[in-house]
Amino acid sequence: SGKVPASNVLASAPSDKNLGAWRELGCRTTHCNLEVVYRSTLVFLATKPHILPAVLEEIRPAVGSQHIVVSLVAGVTIQTLQRLLPPGTKVLRIMPNLPCVVQAGAMVFSRGSNAGDEEAALLKSLLSSCGLCEEVPESYIDIHTGLSGSGVAYVYLFAEALAEGAVKMGMPGALASRIAAQTLLGAAKMLLETGEHPAKLRGDVCTPGGTTIYALHQLEKGALRATVMNAVEAATNRACDMAKD
Amino acid sequence: VQKMGVNFTVSNKDTVKSSDVLFLAVKPPIIPFILEEVGPDIEPRHIVVSCAAGVTINSIEKKLSTFCPTPKVIRCMTNTPVIVREGATVYATGTHADVEDGKLLEQLMASVGFCTEVEEDLIDAVTGLSGSGPAYAFTALDALADGGVKMGLPRRLAVRLGAQALLGAAKMLLESEQHPGQLKDNVCSPGGATIHALHFLESGGFRSLLINAVEASCIRTRELQYLADQEKISPAAIKKTLLDKVKLESPSLSVASASKVSLFTSKSKKN
Repeated sequence: SGKVPASNVLASAPSDKNLGAWRELGCRTTHCNLEVVYRSTLVFLATKPHILPAVLEEIRPAVGSQHIVVSLVAGVTIQTLQRLLPPGTKVLRIMPNLPCVVQAGAMVFSRGSNAGDEEAALLKSLLSSCGLCEEVPESYIDIHTGLSGSGVAYVYLFAEALAEGAVKMGMPGALASRIAAQTLLGAAKMLLETGEHPAKLRGDVCTPGGTTIYALHQLEKGALRATVMNAVEAATNRACDMAKD
Repeated sequence: VQKMGVNFTVSNKDTVKSSDVLFLAVKPPIIPFILEEVGPDIEPRHIVVSCAAGVTINSIEKKLSTFCPTPKVIRCMTNTPVIVREGATVYATGTHADVEDGKLLEQLMASVGFCTEVEEDLIDAVTGLSGSGPAYAFTALDALADGGVKMGLPRRLAVRLGAQALLGAAKMLLESEQHPGQLKDNVCSPGGATIHALHFLESGGFRSLLINAVEASCIRTRELQYLADQEKISPAAIKKTLLDKVKLESPSLSVASASKVSLFTSKSKKN
């Protein structure tokens, strides 16, 4: 989005597998994590959880008071991060979701003991270009996983089912899928832009004795609401459990 | 009724002669018999209000038109809480009932709760919702009280608190501009007791059960209306009607067996 010139971004990875994409955007790349830490002030950690401890060991000597370390690593707490980095390091933890890649993401972040308002503001301003970015207490991060991290998959499932219903009723699949996606997009947009309660928006669509209320009755019969609540709960609990490992 | 200072009679005919607004408050299968009985005495000034579930304006007008060319008929659906002046009443005006006639009824019924005019084809839905509604509420209250008792409350207190909770919630909703969904959210603090409880309700398909109930009551009302229109009245209802007629015309006579009744009825008709 132009907030940071690509040439100011340095990405590091063990192999060239993913680095090509960075280079195409105009970023510099390296295979050396330490180089990233030496040459940058804002450092994002984006490894798989089991790899992170080793990476932190590696870069620890080079981390100083000027650095801002932002972890995107699922399940690794601020406490753990601060333990594995030099005392006094400014640490923040962020949980994004997949649609960040189309600038319609939902991200929450929490700050560690040494990260202040300036760091939080910087992160928020940088990442807002990828979508919604809010600071939260760390305890909300697992909930965010259940709601929005995994939540994207629930929406894909719902979209698939909508399209299948349409196909059953005689619409070609490709068209049905595009319309299903647009329906979700449009409804979400209305929710976000009107700020109205979803129940009110739902009521607005339901003309007495009309098609919508008949369909909603089917959804209620299937206890969709409870099932969705169960899903969010299950994913959140799983995130908590995994963090403990 | 007499204790309230209301004039009381056992004669339907007398009631009609000395009144302008007639409320027919009998069971639906009896309506045709009552209309036959009072039909001759109906005058243009009379407003006939029927509260019988499933009995259409059309069927009443048809029956009365043999006696009076332009009968004023209003059909009304109310519910039991009129007893405590918190009724829910709707009415639909018939072909010859004027706007003022409707307004008069509305004024009368508004004194015992909420009253509004609707199109007649909505009355079955109203029956399903607010007609039967108190029964749904009583069932819910019984169960809520059970919940309270299970968790240690004495029964009387549990019933009192449950009823007050529903009363208060209903009042909040009626006095608020907010959507019930919003009001619900306002009670649910994150991770708190209420949201845990609501999850149970959702898991049990609480909402769909209520939708099903309103639907079932509405559909049944339509069925009963259809049966009534076909004039398919059960023999038991007919027998009871005749017994009642006898009781009305000679309150001092005790009714013993069926055979006695039929003899007496035919005799009285000759008179």
